[in-house]
Amino acid sequence: MGVVRHLTKRALFLAITFVIAVYVTVVIANGFGRIDDILKKQIYQDLKQQFARNPAYNRLPPADQARIFNDTYNTAVEAQGLNEPFLPKTIRYTTNAIQLNLGRATQLFSSDGSTSVAAIIFERLPRSLVLFTTANLIAAATGIWLGLWMAKKALSPFDRGLTVLSVTTFVVPPWVYGILFILVFGFGLKVLPSGGLTTIPPLPQAPLIWAFPPLVALGMISGGWFASRHLRAKQRVIGYGVIVAGIAVLIAWGLAPYDYFKDMEVHMILPAAAVAFSVFGSWSYTTRNLVLQVMDEDFVFAARARGLKERDVLSRYVLRAASPPIVTSLALTLAAAWTGAIITETVFNFPGLGRLFFDAIQLNDAPVIIGLTTVYALLLVLTVFLLDMSYSLLDPRIRALRR
Amino acid sequence: MLGFLILVALLVPLFAPYSVVQAWNDPSAWTNNPKLAAPEWSEIFAGKKLPRTILLPYNGETGGFTKARVVVDEAGQTYVTVVLRSSFSFQADAFPSEIALYMTTVFGNQSGTQIRMFWDRPDGEEINLFDATPTVRAPFENTFSLTTPAIKGDPAYSVYANIRNWLIRKNITTQTEWDQLYPSRGGIYDSPPKAEVLLMAQLNHNMLDPYSAQVLKGTYAFRIEFQGFARTDDANARAVIYGRVYGIAGTDGSRRDLLVALLWGAPVALAFGLAGALASVLIQTILGAISGWYGGVIDEFLQRAADFYLIIPTLPILILLGILYRPSIYGILFVLVIFGLVGATTKVVRSIVLSVKEEQFIEAAKSYGASRGRILFRYILPRVMPYTFALIALNVPAFIFLEASLSFLGLGDPQLPTWGHIIGDAYSNDALFASRAFPSGLWWWVSFPAAGIIFTTVAFALLGYAFDKVLNPRLREQ
Repeated sequence: MGVVRHLTKRALFLAITFVIAVYVTVVIANGFGRIDDILKKQIYQDLKQQFARNPAYNRLPPADQARIFNDTYNTAVEAQGLNEPFLPKTIRYTTNAIQLNLGRATQLFSSDGSTSVAAIIFERLPRSLVLFTTANLIAAATGIWLGLWMAKKALSPFDRGLTVLSVTTFVVPPWVYGILFILVFGFGLKVLPSGGLTTIPPLPQAPLIWAFPPLVALGMISGGWFASRHLRAKQRVIGYGVIVAGIAVLIAWGLAPYDYFKDMEVHMILPAAAVAFSVFGSWSYTTRNLVLQVMDEDFVFAARARGLKERDVLSRYVLRAASPPIVTSLALTLAAAWTGAIITETVFNFPGLGRLFFDAIQLNDAPVIIGLTTVYALLLVLTVFLLDMSYSLLDPRIRALRR
Repeated sequence: MLGFLILVALLVPLFAPYSVVQAWNDPSAWTNNPKLAAPEWSEIFAGKKLPRTILLPYNGETGGFTKARVVVDEAGQTYVTVVLRSSFSFQADAFPSEIALYMTTVFGNQSGTQIRMFWDRPDGEEINLFDATPTVRAPFENTFSLTTPAIKGDPAYSVYANIRNWLIRKNITTQTEWDQLYPSRGGIYDSPPKAEVLLMAQLNHNMLDPYSAQVLKGTYAFRIEFQGFARTDDANARAVIYGRVYGIAGTDGSRRDLLVALLWGAPVALAFGLAGALASVLIQTILGAISGWYGGVIDEFLQRAADFYLIIPTLPILILLGILYRPSIYGILFVLVIFGLVGATTKVVRSIVLSVKEEQFIEAAKSYGASRGRILFRYILPRVMPYTFALIALNVPAFIFLEASLSFLGLGDPQLPTWGHIIGDAYSNDALFASRAFPSGLWWWVSFPAAGIIFTTVAFALLGYAFDKVLNPRLREQ
């Protein structure tokens, strides 16, 4: 029952963190009352203009005019709850935000014209999720693979070179690479589109199913690769078969006519490459160091002494033992990816959550900013929780380690 | 790398004092530079000679306009005629980006004061570009932009009309073709003709398309006739033929020399990154040591706080703060340190302290009655400090990039030309969009500051890595 108790504890902690994070956001977003002042002024201006155009109002004597105006203004302010004291108001905002009852945007709208913040956000969420999850998975796979290889050839020139490369690439955030990639691949070599989600005008909408072949192919290739590593020699053919099938899917997709989703995926290559390039280094470097540490342990010697193949020792003993800390570092990289997405997406003009945040900043659209920060906090909390879960599944020692 | 950076950071304030930063925000300090000019060395890649900016200074300065002033009294009326001339040799393979004429004029209250401007081409053509009335008295300058008109009344509009008449007279084009090429509604062009191309292109039909027109090389001349009606009337002129390349790093959309900002970015980034990393890592170290040493409730609280700080979306919250308070660079630093009170370093230091705690010299200190605080600060922290140096070096890039990110979003210090600020400026001026005039975007505007940031952070990353190797014997052995 240790795992369940541990997970419950973590869930509780994360939930509390989430609530506090949202509350902090609400308080800051309200600028300790500043946004309310702005909103009040907006109401005031709107009413002024509205009344100025009303001939019946203009015929009234000034005293009546002032009275009617003040009444309407106060009702409007009251209706929006702007006169409440600070604490209850912020608590109300927080509960609304946590229930994802995000209100209406003041400036922005979704592509179908809705001003509901939830609609705007959920229209863009999938794009960001697809882009950054794919990029991070690719980076993780490449990084772990490179890290294992580096550990195997520790202290060789190959290892030294890649170590320096890893250490230096992962300190630079993806948007800086993005700028350079746009200049080199988009403008210099002109091989890839430099930004946007689709070409303009977009190609006709295709069935959603066309979006998946490359992902399926990548999954098959990596699955087949892992299978071929873990299976016994005779059954490895299955793994190779799956890899070949994955490549076949990829080629078939490549030969298929150019459609909406393919267009979209081509546009995602550069941003994904920028993200992957800035993330893979932390994977390969941590993997390398952890694997080298684990390789010194006794059970690895024991496994070697039993005459197991070096490859099996690496994948079954070393990687298994080194995986919990590797998985933990995923939390930090993913967290960085979510928040760093603001500028990466802006640079690539990619209409996801980050770009939305940028637009909301430019337009001072407070409800959207609060809503987005809430969604970011939620994404982070969910990521960390999922990692906790996989952590406890991966590492049986967790029951012993935790009090 | 780091040595080079520190050298730059130390030398820049010596060579370019802080007044340069103030001039950075003063648009009038940069009027003689071309707008959006690539670096001069980029013509190697372009494969042709690109024009530099040519300055034709005032009469009285070396190489300036020559002036001839004649005063005639006739039938009780004074006529003052000033003729200003200057010529320049143009040998580049591309057209200049703009041509502007600035005049100081002294004139009385009589109406009819007039300026007539003529443009002499190497092929012997002379075009009367505009006839205008000066509006501003010396010492202020009348600005006559020949190529980028602001409003319909601008002399440039008569420049266009005069060029058109000239070309029709020369049978290069017809009125109908001109109207098709440059549709104008109510006398205002949707996209005005490029006067700098038409004025300096070889006289054939190709000149109508700015991308296939060929440059007519040779000596061009300005001739300006000023007609005044009071004895004191006078005029002086200077002209700027703006080039397409400038300096080592090019210019931005406000004609500013990017080299200044690039150089100034180094000390700012170094100071900001070091100060931020130093403050936050030291605070985190002390808190981590306290957490590990005292244990109990304090430990639990600090660890939960560290977890919390790792989870909250820092950048969005920082952006919110930036929007609402528009902090200066010190304000940003302060907020960043507040948001880094506890964090990953706290956890690392705590684990180190937990192992140090069990060592003999702590036992010894306890046994002779040292207080807990004394042990923490005199015995434990010195043991932890070496790790802290590595962590500081590794944290500098994070701070540099946070500042750059905020500046990119336009939320940084509005006065300081930091690298992130330049990239943000460039982005909002469409530097990352390819147009026909700039098929590679405004690459010099974004790539140099980006390279500067990468260079600095990589230097610190390598330093941190070197520290890491020294301090983690396990990494060294293998």
